[in-house]
Amino acid sequence: MLKIENLKARIGDTEILKGITLEVKPGEVHAIMGPNGSGKSTLAQVIAGHPDYEVTGGSITYLGNNLLDMEPEERARDGVFLGFQYPVEIPGVNNAYLLKAALNARRKAAGEDEIDAFEFMQLAKAKMKLLDMDPGFLNRGVNEGFSGGEKKRNEILQMAVLEPKLAVLDETDSGLDIDALKAVAGGVNALRGPERAIVLVTHYQRLLNYIEPDYVHVLSEGRIARSGDKSLALKLEEQGYDWVREAANA
Amino acid sequence: MSRAELRTTLLEAAEARLPADGLQAVRQRALAALPEQAFPSTRDEDWKYTNLAPAVELSNDWLASLAAGDAPSSAATPAALPDIDAHLLVLADGLVDELALRRVAEEAGDALRLSRLRDRAASVSADGPLDALNAALLQDGLHIVVPAGLRLDRPLAIVYADGAAAASQSRVVIEIEPGASLELVEYHAAGGGDRHFANGVTQLAVGAGAHAAYLRIQARPGSHVQVGKLAATLERDATLDYASFDLGGRLVRQDVFADITGAGAAVHLHGLYLADGDQHIDNHTRIDHRVGPAASREEYRGILNGRARCVWNGKAIVHEGADGTDAEQANHNLLLSDKAEVDTKPELEIYAEDVKCSHGATVGQLDKTALHYLRTRGLGREQAAWLLTRAFAARVSARLPIDALRAHVDALIDHRLDELQENAS
Repeated sequence: MLKIENLKARIGDTEILKGITLEVKPGEVHAIMGPNGSGKSTLAQVIAGHPDYEVTGGSITYLGNNLLDMEPEERARDGVFLGFQYPVEIPGVNNAYLLKAALNARRKAAGEDEIDAFEFMQLAKAKMKLLDMDPGFLNRGVNEGFSGGEKKRNEILQMAVLEPKLAVLDETDSGLDIDALKAVAGGVNALRGPERAIVLVTHYQRLLNYIEPDYVHVLSEGRIARSGDKSLALKLEEQGYDWVREAANA
Repeated sequence: MSRAELRTTLLEAAEARLPADGLQAVRQRALAALPEQAFPSTRDEDWKYTNLAPAVELSNDWLASLAAGDAPSSAATPAALPDIDAHLLVLADGLVDELALRRVAEEAGDALRLSRLRDRAASVSADGPLDALNAALLQDGLHIVVPAGLRLDRPLAIVYADGAAAASQSRVVIEIEPGASLELVEYHAAGGGDRHFANGVTQLAVGAGAHAAYLRIQARPGSHVQVGKLAATLERDATLDYASFDLGGRLVRQDVFADITGAGAAVHLHGLYLADGDQHIDNHTRIDHRVGPAASREEYRGILNGRARCVWNGKAIVHEGADGTDAEQANHNLLLSDKAEVDTKPELEIYAEDVKCSHGATVGQLDKTALHYLRTRGLGREQAAWLLTRAFAARVSARLPIDALRAHVDALIDHRLDELQENAS
């Protein structure tokens, strides 16, 4: 589904990704871990097409297409979803409006009819119930005045409604209390299926207690320093990141 | 730029032609007080960016027709009135539409005291050149007194249907008595002739504990020159909730003066200007905090396209002894074209202790982070940009002081933004 080969990217003059190679197949859940500044979030943003990052080498192929040639909205319509580390507050844009516009953009690209208002509300409310969210959030501005946990839940709500093929969740667990973490993990697990792939970018192992990954990769200084199964995450939890860095530099 | 001046001989001849009605003394006093330069010049700091030269020529044409006795003395029937659910009063080129006045008087009952300025003397101001010019040539106007306990079933709207003549002087004097409240709409209609200079003054006295919800909608033809002044005074615990929407006009200048003379008063000013082509829209506000505690909140927003030029100047003066003043001013602008220009200036003058004041102004493009976020949700660049532009405007329309007009105002804004969007693409 997603094939990243020797990907290099920079922001301004700073090179952040120095050759990432990674393949994600349908049905798989990958966790990308690593210390601050290792390039985890950059990788997530490059996949989503953030204009501030310049790809200087390598390639990303998504469903057989060159992802880097696609505009951010084309990627989204084609099933790529990024859950933001810092979801953006957009006062004046209604949450339900955005959710519906996003869903219709995806349906239109797939050659489907737009969803009608009633059907949409049924869908949104069902997904909110699953995430233990107050339906009142639908009528508020996008993330406007939301707490950190509410913003993250709202990201997962968008994901649940859009049903992407590839979901990249950037530090979705940071700043969540245990109830919110369980709700978010429940939302992600509900989406797991043979047709979908999920990439979890996280600093801590904690999230992986609730969402069990098939693979764990550790980023260090813009490269994948280690790959393994979920036991790698546990080792990181016990021993920290220093041994990875040392091993990578050795 | 034309350095034409108002022709004094015409001015005197025009005034002499006006009938000996209840306003004659007002006119003659104002004429005597009128400075030699009847129009403010761009050398005046308050008029630095706004050149009224186009108004001078229109005024001279109008004065000539008045002096020749060609000007109508009764209001022309407006081609079309705005479709709003309100009691509609009409001022056509400054003249009172008698039929509309009678109808509203009937609908509202005797409690609402409505009269024409030429029939019943009211205190008419002549502060500054344009106010004095208005008073010196005043043919008529509306005097509205709202007593406590009066509850109108609908807002009261004054429709300015100008353009049959080349210029007009319109005046409205409103008194909201202690404890009373009024929802008022000042509606500058879209129809009428193309060549016009409108000089309007509204005097608004908000009594102790009284409430004024004031909505200004300026949707004039794209060729009109309009200057307007709202001079409001607020007594103890009075409130003024004002929102202004500039959607039309070629050269527009609106002044709002709010004079807080009683403790506990509150002033809210909100404004939105949507400018395109070669429109010039200038909003000046001045809030005088003479006593405290009292609060004022002000936020204007502008969206500019084409070669539009807009000006915003928000001044708050906290006078000596006005302790406990809480004043906040903000102006935010979106420029959709690199040829559009905005001059923004918040001004605070503080002579009191224990005050809380803040101000800020921004001029810029859309928030890139928000734009990117929307695109990652599948919205195209254009769609995302216009969604954010509309959201920017919605921050003002959300503060509409008169609920009954919400759908109407939203539709006007949507329509104007559609035009801007069409021209931008």
